[in-house]
Amino acid sequence: MELRKFIFRRLVQIVIIFFVILTVLFLLFRLAPGDPVSRMVDPDMTPEDAHRLVVQLGLDKPLGVQYLIYLKNFVTGHFGFSFHYGEPVVHIIWNRLPNTILLFTTSIILSALVGVFLGKIASWHKGKKTDSVMTIGALVTHTLFLPWLALIMIWVFAYKFSWFPINGMISEEVWLDPDSGLIAKSLDVMYHMVLPLSTLFLIHFGAYLLIMRSSMLETLKEDYILTARAKGLEERTIRDRHAAPNAALPVVTSVGLSLAFSINGGALTETVFTWPGIGRELVFSVSQNDYPLAQASFLLIAAVVLVSNLVVDVLYAYLDPRIRY
Amino acid sequence: MRAREKYPLLNSFLEGWSIFRQNLLGRIGLVLLIMFALMAICSYIPPWINPMYNPMTGVDPLITSCTPPSWAHWLGTDFMGRDILSQLLAGARVAFMVGISAAVMSIVLGVAIGMTAGYMGRFVDTLLMRLADMIMVMPTLLVVLILSAVFGQLNIWTIVLIIALFRWPGVSRIIRGQTLSLKQRPFIEAAKVAGASHFRIIFQHIMPNVLPLAFLFMTFRVTSAIITEAALAFLGFGDPGTVSWGMMLQWVWKTGHMFKAPYWLLPPGICISLITLSFYMLGRAMDEVLDPRLRKEDQTD
Amino acid sequence: MGLMNQKPKRCSRPWIMMVACASLLFSGILFTGSGAFAGEMLKMGLLEEPKTLNVWRASDTWSRKVLGLLYQPLYVHDPKTLDLVPWLAADLPVFNEKELSYTVKLRPAKWSDGTELTSEDVAFTGNFINEFKVPRYRSKWSFVKKIETPDKHTVKFYLKGPRAIFVPRTLTTPIVQKKEWTARAEAARKTEKPLGTLLNEKIKNPVSSGPFMLKEWRDGAFLFMQKNPHFFGNGQTISGRQLGPYIDGIIFKIFGTSDAAILAIKKGTIDMFWWGIQPGYMEDLRANPEIEMFQNEKSALYYMGFNVRKAPFNDPHLRRAIATLVDEDFIIKRILQGYGIKMYSIIPPGNIFWYCPDVPKYGMGMDREARIKKAFSILRDAGYTWQIAPVEASGNIVKGDGIMLPDGNLMEKFTILTPPADYDPHRAMCGMMMQEWLRMLGVPAYSKPMAFGALLQQVKVRRDFDSFVLGYGRLSLDPDYLRNFFISTNNKPRGWNMSGYNNPEFDRIANESAREMDRDKRQALIWEMQKIIMADVPYIPLYNPKLIEAVRKGRFGGWVQMLGGIGNLWTFCELKPVK
Repeated sequence: MELRKFIFRRLVQIVIIFFVILTVLFLLFRLAPGDPVSRMVDPDMTPEDAHRLVVQLGLDKPLGVQYLIYLKNFVTGHFGFSFHYGEPVVHIIWNRLPNTILLFTTSIILSALVGVFLGKIASWHKGKKTDSVMTIGALVTHTLFLPWLALIMIWVFAYKFSWFPINGMISEEVWLDPDSGLIAKSLDVMYHMVLPLSTLFLIHFGAYLLIMRSSMLETLKEDYILTARAKGLEERTIRDRHAAPNAALPVVTSVGLSLAFSINGGALTETVFTWPGIGRELVFSVSQNDYPLAQASFLLIAAVVLVSNLVVDVLYAYLDPRIRY
Repeated sequence: MRAREKYPLLNSFLEGWSIFRQNLLGRIGLVLLIMFALMAICSYIPPWINPMYNPMTGVDPLITSCTPPSWAHWLGTDFMGRDILSQLLAGARVAFMVGISAAVMSIVLGVAIGMTAGYMGRFVDTLLMRLADMIMVMPTLLVVLILSAVFGQLNIWTIVLIIALFRWPGVSRIIRGQTLSLKQRPFIEAAKVAGASHFRIIFQHIMPNVLPLAFLFMTFRVTSAIITEAALAFLGFGDPGTVSWGMMLQWVWKTGHMFKAPYWLLPPGICISLITLSFYMLGRAMDEVLDPRLRKEDQTD
Repeated sequence: MGLMNQKPKRCSRPWIMMVACASLLFSGILFTGSGAFAGEMLKMGLLEEPKTLNVWRASDTWSRKVLGLLYQPLYVHDPKTLDLVPWLAADLPVFNEKELSYTVKLRPAKWSDGTELTSEDVAFTGNFINEFKVPRYRSKWSFVKKIETPDKHTVKFYLKGPRAIFVPRTLTTPIVQKKEWTARAEAARKTEKPLGTLLNEKIKNPVSSGPFMLKEWRDGAFLFMQKNPHFFGNGQTISGRQLGPYIDGIIFKIFGTSDAAILAIKKGTIDMFWWGIQPGYMEDLRANPEIEMFQNEKSALYYMGFNVRKAPFNDPHLRRAIATLVDEDFIIKRILQGYGIKMYSIIPPGNIFWYCPDVPKYGMGMDREARIKKAFSILRDAGYTWQIAPVEASGNIVKGDGIMLPDGNLMEKFTILTPPADYDPHRAMCGMMMQEWLRMLGVPAYSKPMAFGALLQQVKVRRDFDSFVLGYGRLSLDPDYLRNFFISTNNKPRGWNMSGYNNPEFDRIANESAREMDRDKRQALIWEMQKIIMADVPYIPLYNPKLIEAVRKGRFGGWVQMLGGIGNLWTFCELKPVK
């Protein structure tokens, strides 16, 4: 019951925050000096025609009216038409979202799992060579500059060794061929995913490793571990079945906290690898002054961040019996 | 020894220093940082020697394309014939400027807000901390992106300000905690009894006790500012008049020299990564100094 | 603080999972690229994805390139002579002076869906543009009073008044299918904003009257076009050329960066990259025996513009002096690595008929010293003075400082706005060089790179700037843009007269040229206009870059070179697989 009340309170908070973000975005975009029409012209278009375009795109009404239209549209799911694609923004986002989800969630899960696993091992061998190697490795990879790492990966693995494609998500040979089935297509996508995934993985697993390591060290000092040892249980069992699960809890929260960092990284990775996802679309739309698409992409990402934080908090509360709201 | 007793601040500083010195990470971090600081200072030298070494507008009369390292240009030239080493040094200067300014601004904001929240308590506290939560979870890079969509072009100081606006929550939380605990202390009670105004209490009594902590804590959190500026410049939304490491990476990428010019591709990335690493190490060492629980077990106070 | 015994054994699980993932990923390498399709498909590389297939909306290069293969115009330009050649039309248009009408006969032609292309489609296109006032094409059709269709293959256009651009520009508008757009137009008329609705229409399966039709478009990755069996030109000889198309299809692969595309062409994954190759890649590609390079001129203009509304740029002497200082040889040789031609007029010399060779050519043939001296004398004679004159009494050149305007005040520092270096290194570099050259003369110039969108805003909308370096990459062959750039009526926010040039004499001649239907008479007027502009230099033409393109040898042959590159309609119709 406590948990439910907590979730409810948080949901209300999320709605309020989201509304604030919506309004701020609206004001920002409307009061801005930027203008998309400047990027859609041709020596033949007269200023009257350009102005007509402005009217047709609805940029001429008073602010208050625009705000109401904006809210109405948001609630009914009309996010407007992209200035550049000329398509409803929802279509574009709907198109791009699965690609981002695929890459992003896979990378988080992979880095978390490997990070936890290695962190556990590192803490067990504390002070010895394995530990130092892992800790330093984690530290170094975590502080690498992501876009630069991405460029290096492309240079080495796609250019020098030609093991992987330079960019993109699919190969047209596979997808155009009427004979290629689902398996071939999925493998093609995975083939393209290796480099971006590795880049994201390298950057993120280090943090999880370090957190898991220090968390394990704390946990191993706990009394129940002493009890387990006194009972004569195998070291391995103690480590894996008693200490690790509890030590892994802070990692869960850190996934949530570092979400902002991961999302930044996701956008950068998608841009460098030309992976057709939301992050890349956001960057692109910003450079083209495509308001509706930029706004919608940002709102989506903000919503994801807010909701995932809630999910993480709930998960943590659920997993740790000590915490009660 | 009397000096150390008389000035408690000096005492804690010296204590901290001895712990810090024993920490390997801290030492490495410090060395790296000093190296970068030197780079930043040296950035004024090449253009002074010869205007063709100006990182932004330096034109070599003989070279107008990307060339490998040579005697005249130790790291080679970029696609317009500008010296890469000068750009690298100038980038160090920009990195420090961005990092330190953002840190200072966020400290100022964070301290002010943290103290207010901690002291005022209840409604003001909740409001400010909720605000802090909201800001803390937002991906800074994307927010700055949206802002640059809105305002067209951002110049470097605007970018720094925006980054600072997203960093204060971290500081304010710590400061708030400190303020809360200080609030109960006898000397605050005494001041209240003596009739001091809230304002006076906050600035004259609480702030001096809280500030050192703030500075120490935040100074080594500057990295995110540097990385954010670098990522922004990399994507093409930085200040085109500023030569930063991120800008250099953008140039090498966008002008298609990624595969051909490792002497151009590698240095800026290595620098960004190393400076991040050094600040991180320093931060970790700082944590050990400030939080006794984190110190190694075999180390006695 | 209880024990959590239920947690499953996690030790070996991660390892198993990792091994499984890794093997899946690596086996992907074996399964990709079945290549069964590669056959006679032309593989083209695009730098960016086309934004839309809605012909009314398309404003970006990529959409226009793709749409150019689908919707065909009545007339096109011959690749060698640049003369107008009947395309969908059967013959050149017949002019009736009394009625002020043009009659055009159509060739028998079909759309890709099998239906006939008739005069109805042509009339529909023109009326559509006028009814909805489609921004892209409106100015070319607004003076068309009426369009008649006496029979299925004849169209008659009545003009409101004489207009020189009718034949070269109006008749080169792509024709759309009435069937494709009628229903959409109907629906749009009922909405509040018909034009907006129409511009937002998503065209998934555009009908084509061209050599190819769209088969599939996978967002963000590729477009696939197949040969259009109903293409009217198939088997025909037009302008002395035997048309196909002789290839079965085209796969357009989208690359995010030039790098990736160049790599692809080196590896043979694509046959051609439909974008100019930057000089930095030239050596590499030229040395490659499997790659052939083509060089063509562009109908383009890259220039430095002044805000002549503002002092001191309203003084033509200052502008002429600056024009003299521009070292075009340096720009071509060093900035463009030799791949460009000098521009002395607004109209590129490649546009042979309209280009006026008689314009004043500032600084031509002069070396640096001579240039500085000449600029110095122009300014001195106009009343400018210096704190330190760049040319001493003895004739020595020194670094000038502190130039003062004729009224005695020190010239304030001014900025030269340029696009950012990564957007266009050439323009950015020109700005930097101008800064250096001007400073030699004591003129306080500052080159300032600015994000492109913001730059256009500043110059076109806010009109608050000193000078800039911009360019037009695709100027039409018809010189009407000369009128648009400098006529005083276009001097307004978002207007095409960005410099604010205001010359009643020019206005008069320009308007006359717009109405002059006789080509030779018009030529005289256009030449006159060029002389006036180049005497006043509100814009200083800097350069016209050459277009270098690369193709892979051994797969296809028959590339047609033309002003604007080898990616033209003729190529697509004549390209044959090499056996």
